[in-house]
Amino acid sequence: MTAGLAALALLFAFPFWYVFVLATWPGDRILEFPPHLFFGTGGAENLAILLARVPYVANFLNSLGIALVSTILALFFCTMAGFAFAKYRFRGRDRLYAFVIATLAVPGFLNIVPFYKMMVAFGWINTWLPLVVPGMAGAFGIFLMTQFLENSLPDELLDAGRIDGLTEFGLLLRLVFPLARPGMAILGIITFIGSWNSFTSALVFLPDLAKTTLPVALSVLNSRVDNNLGGLMLGTALSLLPLVAVFLAFSRQIIAGLTAGAVKS
Amino acid sequence: MKRSMAFFALAGLGLALAAQVFDPKSKVEVTLGVYGDLERAYTAVLASADFKSKYPNLSFKFQTADMNGHHNRLSTVLAAHEATNDVEALEIRFISQFVEGGGLVDLGAQPFGGRAAGRDLAKFAMSNATTTDGRLVALPVDIAPAVLFYRKDLADAAGVNLDNLANWDEYIAAGRKLTLDRDGDGRKDQFAITHPGDVGVIPLNGGNGGWFSGGKPLEPKDRFLAVLDLVAKIRKAGIDADLGAWTGPWTQAFKDGKVATMPLGSWFGGALKTWIAPESKGKWRVAYLPGRLYAAVGGTYLCIPDTVPPARRAAAWEVIKYLATTKEAQLATFKAIDAFPALTTVYGDKVMDEPVEYFGGQKVRKIYADVAMHIPEALVSPNDNIVLSIWMRAVGTVILGKKDAATAYEEARKKILATIE
Amino acid sequence: MSKRKARGLAPYVFISPFFVLFAVFGVFPIGYSIVMSLYNWKISGPVAFVGLQNYINVLTVDPYFWTALGNTVFLLFSGSLLQHFIALPLAILLNSRLARAKEFLKTAYFLPYVTSTVAVVIIFSNLFDTNFGLVNWLLGLAGLGPVAWLGDSVGIKAALSTVLNWKYVGWNMVIYLAGLQAIPAELYEAAAIDGAGALRRHLSITLPQLLPVIFFAVSLSVIGGMQIFEEPYIMTGGYENLGGEGNSGLTAAFYLMFTAFKAGRLGKASAIAWILFVAILALNAVNKAATDRLGGRR
Repeated sequence: MTAGLAALALLFAFPFWYVFVLATWPGDRILEFPPHLFFGTGGAENLAILLARVPYVANFLNSLGIALVSTILALFFCTMAGFAFAKYRFRGRDRLYAFVIATLAVPGFLNIVPFYKMMVAFGWINTWLPLVVPGMAGAFGIFLMTQFLENSLPDELLDAGRIDGLTEFGLLLRLVFPLARPGMAILGIITFIGSWNSFTSALVFLPDLAKTTLPVALSVLNSRVDNNLGGLMLGTALSLLPLVAVFLAFSRQIIAGLTAGAVKS
Repeated sequence: MKRSMAFFALAGLGLALAAQVFDPKSKVEVTLGVYGDLERAYTAVLASADFKSKYPNLSFKFQTADMNGHHNRLSTVLAAHEATNDVEALEIRFISQFVEGGGLVDLGAQPFGGRAAGRDLAKFAMSNATTTDGRLVALPVDIAPAVLFYRKDLADAAGVNLDNLANWDEYIAAGRKLTLDRDGDGRKDQFAITHPGDVGVIPLNGGNGGWFSGGKPLEPKDRFLAVLDLVAKIRKAGIDADLGAWTGPWTQAFKDGKVATMPLGSWFGGALKTWIAPESKGKWRVAYLPGRLYAAVGGTYLCIPDTVPPARRAAAWEVIKYLATTKEAQLATFKAIDAFPALTTVYGDKVMDEPVEYFGGQKVRKIYADVAMHIPEALVSPNDNIVLSIWMRAVGTVILGKKDAATAYEEARKKILATIE
Repeated sequence: MSKRKARGLAPYVFISPFFVLFAVFGVFPIGYSIVMSLYNWKISGPVAFVGLQNYINVLTVDPYFWTALGNTVFLLFSGSLLQHFIALPLAILLNSRLARAKEFLKTAYFLPYVTSTVAVVIIFSNLFDTNFGLVNWLLGLAGLGPVAWLGDSVGIKAALSTVLNWKYVGWNMVIYLAGLQAIPAELYEAAAIDGAGALRRHLSITLPQLLPVIFFAVSLSVIGGMQIFEEPYIMTGGYENLGGEGNSGLTAAFYLMFTAFKAGRLGKASAIAWILFVAILALNAVNKAATDRLGGRR
């Protein structure tokens, strides 16, 4: 069985590996066939192309900053809202929750048009704000945290906390956040990756190349006549590393998270 | 009373126009939205001594993305009716939705006088940027005359002459001789063409305009049916390698010298030389398409979105004029990124007469220039993109042999009519 | 403020950020989109008020919408839903003592989700290439003829389903892994004492306990699967190919984007978006009903 799992792992991981392989081949040899399976020697050349064309470090830091801020905000606001929907009985709870879920079903492909108008009106073009603020308490995150907290936060624990003198907000900080770690880990991963990979929003709201994020910067290298494919591959490969790092950092929480809870009846 | 009102009206108009007249003394930073390698070329041009001497007070800022991202962004900001870059680049395939769709400044009107400024630009390209009610919404800055690239060594070995094919039937006949089994393993490994789809739109103005006649799509019928017949014939002749464009095997086929011909725009020569098959230097040549077919496959235009404030339009227009209508800019761009000039007066320049090393010393630019001068004008319609996509599907189906040409044509026509409802 | 009052107010305070943000950032775009759908709306702006004509055209006259919707639902099942039958057992396996190197495997299975589409498309296009692809080569070894994967309407769906399954199965597995953590170990211990075998334990403990997570994961798959755009768009050659042979790779979201950004019909595209919204809600309702019934039968 271990062999089967390992074979599967190879299947899943190969394309990821392949990006790094391609990143080390010169641009005019990347599309060669049969495809290269091992590293080439074009890495330095590709790095030169990449850095000459885009302010990679600046873009990297922009991507990192926007993703981190988005993630932290989402973790806070969505866990808070999820706690409310999961553990409180209040008037309108069901309808309000249904509303939140319904907004997830609205295909957002065309939202960018009116949204752009709003951002111009607010004066938020060329800032991080359009990419960070509207999604702060996203419906998706609320959905996730509600589902998760409904089943993993024992009511007795909350009551015990109240008896101990914790305020409602104190419950949130002292009990909910620690116990919600597996769910928050998932939300953190999704939010970070989603923010990192977002292209159209960054393109439209961050027109300055030095202020924009990696996907937009890398698209500059995407042309049919110039030989930039190597630089594009290297830039892409490097941009995958933080995603893996974030996954590793967060996913420890998923298996290390609670079992059995703190209350046994 | 009436007279003074008229006076004020005129004065107001004059002021408004004056705001749009270029003031060489004001320092302006012009923003340009472009894609691909245009930024590289234009940066060089706008930093040149010639430009700086003419416009010392203009500076620049570029916003670059890949081609699709750029046009998506442009559509988005135009649809949102917001100000964006002063100058935006448009690729020829994208121009139809903007031409009629509006959102661009009429460069033919005062104070721009685009028609006069563009009188030496390739006529078909100017026509592509003109709406049915006569507005000139962009200026062409480069074009891509379609030619037949071919491997001379393979042609010689097969005993065919690809230089003056009279029609596509002759091409197919030559193609049969060019398709063979080189290594004797029983399977063909050299082919005339990568895929019949390569000629799916070239005979139809390269897919740019001319889709509608008298308001009806795909008319006159014979013209379109002929293309479907052509791709079917090419597939039946067994002379294509069935390779998807821009994939690994496709690229490798060029590197290995397994493809004998490629009908495409002039920029393809640049791609061949730069990264697709640099090792094949000296082996490729350029010929006219069979029957001296004149078409364009590619081309860039520059426009000014109408959300740009009138005060900024003047400087933007100067930049566009410089890039499109001055010899210096056109030649510099050509040298930098192989973008063939739209300015026909440049075709007499000595650079057009230069032998090009990659093509074995052939003076390919003269051919490009000659094709460019003859490309026919075709009317562009806002529904062109819909038609193009549906047409490509019809071409694909016919190539696969799933439908015959007549059926595919009828279906495509019906679908187009239903979709443009 | 009394504790009771605070407790009553707390939930409203906690959920307020969403509603405030929605009021500021959500209402206008949604309203705008509804208004757009009632007009013949080009890139330059509204041309004429047409009421429900866009919706009627899309649902009755348009030759591509129903094909696109059908493709989307097909890919929803073959590329987004069926994989749960693999993701869940995988998660259970990985969670059990039997699996070694958990961290490594978990990360490896998740990598497809982060691998960027640029590389994914190159690889899978190579794999499924008609003449040189690995898949056809393997088929040849087994004596089967080559399949024109990306040139054939059935082949396109098979290739796309493979890419989608590959990309998201690890992602679903991680969600299930998180869910498995919340199941108290004592339940399993008690069942083991009662003599229940592994399969029995999972059927009577794991599945019922995981039902809310399954509902959640399936909901995400439905919402996401009905809006798939990027993979079909890139793998079938973009707007100019309209989903390849037989429009097989044309999903609803793909057609929406084509209508908006290539055909320049923003009104019609908005109508497609809202029709899709109704479809997603309907499917989610089915999901909820099914999950409730399964839960009730416990």
